[in-house]
Amino acid sequence: MAAKQGAAATTYSPKPLVRTRPPIFKDSDLDWTRPDGRGFHQCRPALLQTGAVSSASGSAYAEFGNTKVIVSVFGPRESKKAMSYSDVGRLNCDVTYTTFASTGTDHKEFSSMLHKALEGVIMMESFPKTTVDVFALVLESGGSDLPVVISCASLALADAGIMMYDLITAVSVSCIGKSLMIDPVTEEEGCEDGSFTMTCMPSRYEITQLTITGEWTTPNINEAMQLCLDACSKLGEIMRDCLKQAASASEELT
Amino acid sequence: MGLPDSTQDLSSEMDVDAFRRIFPLRFFERHLSESLRPDARPLGKARDTIVNLGLVSTADGSALAKIGSTTMLAAIRMEVMTPSTDSPDEGCIAIEFHMPPICSPTVRPGRPAEAAPVISKRLSDTILSSGMIDLKELCLVSGKAAWMSYLDIYCLDADGSLFDAALLSAVAAFSNLKIPVVALNDNGRIVAINGEGEEESNASKKEAVNKEKRKLTLKNVPSSLTCILHKSYILADPTAEEESIMDTLVTVVLDSSDQMVSFYKSGGNVLAYSSAIKSCVELAKKRGKELKQILGEMDID
Repeated sequence: MAAKQGAAATTYSPKPLVRTRPPIFKDSDLDWTRPDGRGFHQCRPALLQTGAVSSASGSAYAEFGNTKVIVSVFGPRESKKAMSYSDVGRLNCDVTYTTFASTGTDHKEFSSMLHKALEGVIMMESFPKTTVDVFALVLESGGSDLPVVISCASLALADAGIMMYDLITAVSVSCIGKSLMIDPVTEEEGCEDGSFTMTCMPSRYEITQLTITGEWTTPNINEAMQLCLDACSKLGEIMRDCLKQAASASEELT
Repeated sequence: MGLPDSTQDLSSEMDVDAFRRIFPLRFFERHLSESLRPDARPLGKARDTIVNLGLVSTADGSALAKIGSTTMLAAIRMEVMTPSTDSPDEGCIAIEFHMPPICSPTVRPGRPAEAAPVISKRLSDTILSSGMIDLKELCLVSGKAAWMSYLDIYCLDADGSLFDAALLSAVAAFSNLKIPVVALNDNGRIVAINGEGEEESNASKKEAVNKEKRKLTLKNVPSSLTCILHKSYILADPTAEEESIMDTLVTVVLDSSDQMVSFYKSGGNVLAYSSAIKSCVELAKKRGKELKQILGEMDID
């Protein structure tokens, strides 16, 4: 709601004088450190917290570096009237970005990708005729947004007490030149040659979603797969600890 | 405690819960007659309030405000615009209030909350008419360039008194705002200067337009308090549950010198007598002092 509607259309954000971004690194310098000083196979520190939204059935907040995400789960609640009868439950996912989250585009495809990643892990038959809503809001985008949203969503589902076969964790790897970098930041995603995102159930060792785009060699894919599986199982441990802590905290209260 | 005792305890608790759901109004009136509220607050007391600054690194200024569990995240982005001809040395502020589906079970994607545009309008009216910000301070080059500041407020958790929390987060975000340093280039466009001096040669050539005006001076900071009128009771800072049961809401907005900025009563089935309105204003004055203290604690930086 602009104070003076007419003036609103002509704004622009002041760009730096010269925008020559040097390539992050070349093939030769292998000892290059990443923009945030991490090692190539090192993930960002993860901050996870359940119960971020009081009015939701379950919710979680995740902060991986600058990527900040809130996910709320509502339901199981009555499906929309227009929907036909169904023996199994329904899952409804929505991912939105705040207007200040990033300067880039908002990712319309994330909602359906989140849905696809989650539907394999939820026991849909445990809530027939009803819908579980999973809503995510990206407060700030700092790279690897979708994996963070997916992991945070599974934490929120667990917090809501929705029955799942396992927790679900997601990690992405960027390929730049010959190097693989796990958990890339926005800057790295901007100049990557290929990206690899894996969503898996760490305890069952099963993959629910695997997205590979760009240029990849077979050995690189194998290496990325191993990296992701390893990182996913470690992230799974962190998420499990977070849930255990929340559960013991609520036990103390009662 | 023996086993039979604890089961009895549980069953009586269940009864209270059921009573609360089935007869919410009677449940509340029973509390009110004891001058207490279900969350153990006295009638005129607001919930615990927390404000955090600078959480969003992609914005020029941001703040998170929490009143009880109502949570608001406000962020400001600054962009350059050409000022309109009738006010060549004034900037502009665009305020938008969002209620994303995460904040409440009543909001669904594709079906925006009814309350959001109402609060959006009231917020921009309040902030622009309070005189908190001098739009002349947003001017860069008279008639050529001025700042357009986009203030977006997201409700992360809706638990009543949304307007109060949104206004608090907006004020805090403005106090956190750091205007980027810019210069005028040869084409008459405004460009950003990176403080870290990546482009030393270029930056030194251009004179910064706004070197000393990095912060806005906030005067007449508005603060607000929403109250519920129910029979002869006045409940300050209601929760979502209270708002859904008793529907006469009064919002008083005062500025830092206790002058009234806005007063809003949105229908409801209780008439507001002048004595009730006076007590609401008194409560708002008290609340204004509390909020001033909370905001003052952060201005030290």
